[in-house]
Amino acid sequence: MDLQEKLEILANSAKYDASCASSGSNRAGRGTGAAHQSGVCHSWTADGRCVSLLKILMTNECVYDCAYCVNRRSNDSRRASLTPDEIAGLTFEFYKRNYIEGLFLSSGITVSPDRTMELMLEAVRKLRNVFHFNGYVHMKVIPGADQALIDQAGLWADRVSVNIELPSDKSLQLLAPGKTKDTVLRPMHRLAQKIAAHKDERRSIKSSPAYAPAGQSTQLIIGATPETDREIIKLSEALYSKMSLKRVYFSAFIPVMKDNRLPALREPPLLREHRLYQADWLLRFYGFTADELLDESHPALDLNFDPKTVWALNNLDKFPLEVNKASYQEILRVPGVGVTSAQRIIRARRAGPLALEDLKKLGVVMKRAMYFVTAGGKYGGVKKETEEAIKVKLLEHKNPNGQLNLFSEKELVKEGLEATVTGQL
Amino acid sequence: MRTYLYAGTFESFLTALSLALERPEECAIAREGGAAAEGGLFSEFIQAGADPARAAGMRDLFERQGSAESWQHARFAFLSEAAGCEDAVLAYARLIKERGPAADDLLADDRVKKVHGLARSVGGEAHMFKGFVRFKELADKTLYARIEPDHNVLPLLTGHFRARLGSFNWIIHDARRGRAALYCGGRLIYAPITQEKALEFDGKEAAVQALWRHFFKTAAIKERTNPRLQRQNVPLKYRANLTEFE
Repeated sequence: MDLQEKLEILANSAKYDASCASSGSNRAGRGTGAAHQSGVCHSWTADGRCVSLLKILMTNECVYDCAYCVNRRSNDSRRASLTPDEIAGLTFEFYKRNYIEGLFLSSGITVSPDRTMELMLEAVRKLRNVFHFNGYVHMKVIPGADQALIDQAGLWADRVSVNIELPSDKSLQLLAPGKTKDTVLRPMHRLAQKIAAHKDERRSIKSSPAYAPAGQSTQLIIGATPETDREIIKLSEALYSKMSLKRVYFSAFIPVMKDNRLPALREPPLLREHRLYQADWLLRFYGFTADELLDESHPALDLNFDPKTVWALNNLDKFPLEVNKASYQEILRVPGVGVTSAQRIIRARRAGPLALEDLKKLGVVMKRAMYFVTAGGKYGGVKKETEEAIKVKLLEHKNPNGQLNLFSEKELVKEGLEATVTGQL
Repeated sequence: MRTYLYAGTFESFLTALSLALERPEECAIAREGGAAAEGGLFSEFIQAGADPARAAGMRDLFERQGSAESWQHARFAFLSEAAGCEDAVLAYARLIKERGPAADDLLADDRVKKVHGLARSVGGEAHMFKGFVRFKELADKTLYARIEPDHNVLPLLTGHFRARLGSFNWIIHDARRGRAALYCGGRLIYAPITQEKALEFDGKEAAVQALWRHFFKTAAIKERTNPRLQRQNVPLKYRANLTEFE
């Protein structure tokens, strides 16, 4: 089998992993390559997802038989493997032509978790020590591998990750026999401890080696199992606070495999994935908690409105907000205001009071924000603001031809789906 | 109205800016040979020349009287090469003289918004090209990349590639402006450049490109196909020089 064929098989098997970030590290040094703190996207594939890393599996052979996975043992597919030398060489050739920021290395389980982890480590070690490569490396950690091997991953990689994939133990039991919540969470917990310990050490001893400087991430598959948005967002929140994860990725379930344990979806739940990313953003950058966004009586995110708008409509007593007086944290909660425009509001009002016309110039999306703000006491929204009245207005903006509730792919793009799926943070 | 003409370099622009700022009445700055340098009946044109002391004085103005970011805004806005960017920087500089560091807080003021907007556009394109530069290995092992950015972002890219590919020799050729950054033996120079004969590539080059194109095609998920989103992220105008779209 030639290199091109192997690459095709192994890129094809790796592409369902949503993680694309090359951010969070500023590795540099002698040799070739460096990492860029904010990450760099190099291209975008036909599905609009960014390419920043050579994302491949080392092998797509696997001893496991997970129902959702294209690489499952019982799937009759072509199998291929790359040697550590091939992986390091290919990464270097791509890197020096500036195709990529670095390597994303994952793998099926060949022979045993230990053996798989050893080979992956060898590939990355070669890249670092033989090619003197300082670019970005994201390494998957193989659940079940020996702790000493897992510990090494963070010494060579910028980011490490263990995918949870299925958001509950019950679903794991059903779809991923051979994996349990514990086998996934144990290495994740271990890595979190190592990262924290190294960070601590580097505070006092600057020369001590970096350990996964870009932190740890994970991925959840959306729509293969019955977990609610609330369960998923609560889980993400816990992962951010208890495991200090940098990112939780969501991957809309794509039925690549036929299996009677899996739902028959006509198309991947992209809109739901999009809403989950929006909610995730609200947790990480907007100071929201999961409980504020969803409760037991409303466990699903609204597909018609973004989660911040839904929260605002449920909390109309807090609005309209006077932008010349409100705190940064309050302004962040206004629909149509992002982190950048909130910062601009705070800055611009230092120089003088803001009028409604000014807000648009600061980047505020007024067609959403107008119902929730006043500037110098002036209000531009509907007169007697009720939840229903605002909803109708907002939907009119979305569907000028009057069709309510119809959501199209086009709308998704307009809303800025790109920001959530390619977000580099 | 009086118009100061500059030769196209940043130093000559700053010289013109310094001269214009000294005059209380309204005046303009235009690039020699550009459309704005065409005379009307009542215009008066003055060659600004290039005076290093005046240029340094302008840098001082932005750095000392402006906020921590004013100098970068002015520099990036100039690199935008957008029509009217010179006069926008002039108005911005006048505002800084008047308001000091607080000028950059006037985000809803059109003078500030204009320069900040141009600077953001240049910074954004420079960041994109950190990803979009595509090197090809020549027979003598030099890495060669051709770019055609809207703005003059080449000066903002060299530091990035120097840090990454410092052990290689490389050329980034801005074909739109006929200029190149040449990095050879650890030294960096900018020079006007024209391509006279076809490039000779390294023997392995075609095979590596084929591998990359193959990888790129494979990495897309069929069920998520979204050409509109792809176009938004990789505008068609940039694709001519991207190996994966060749």
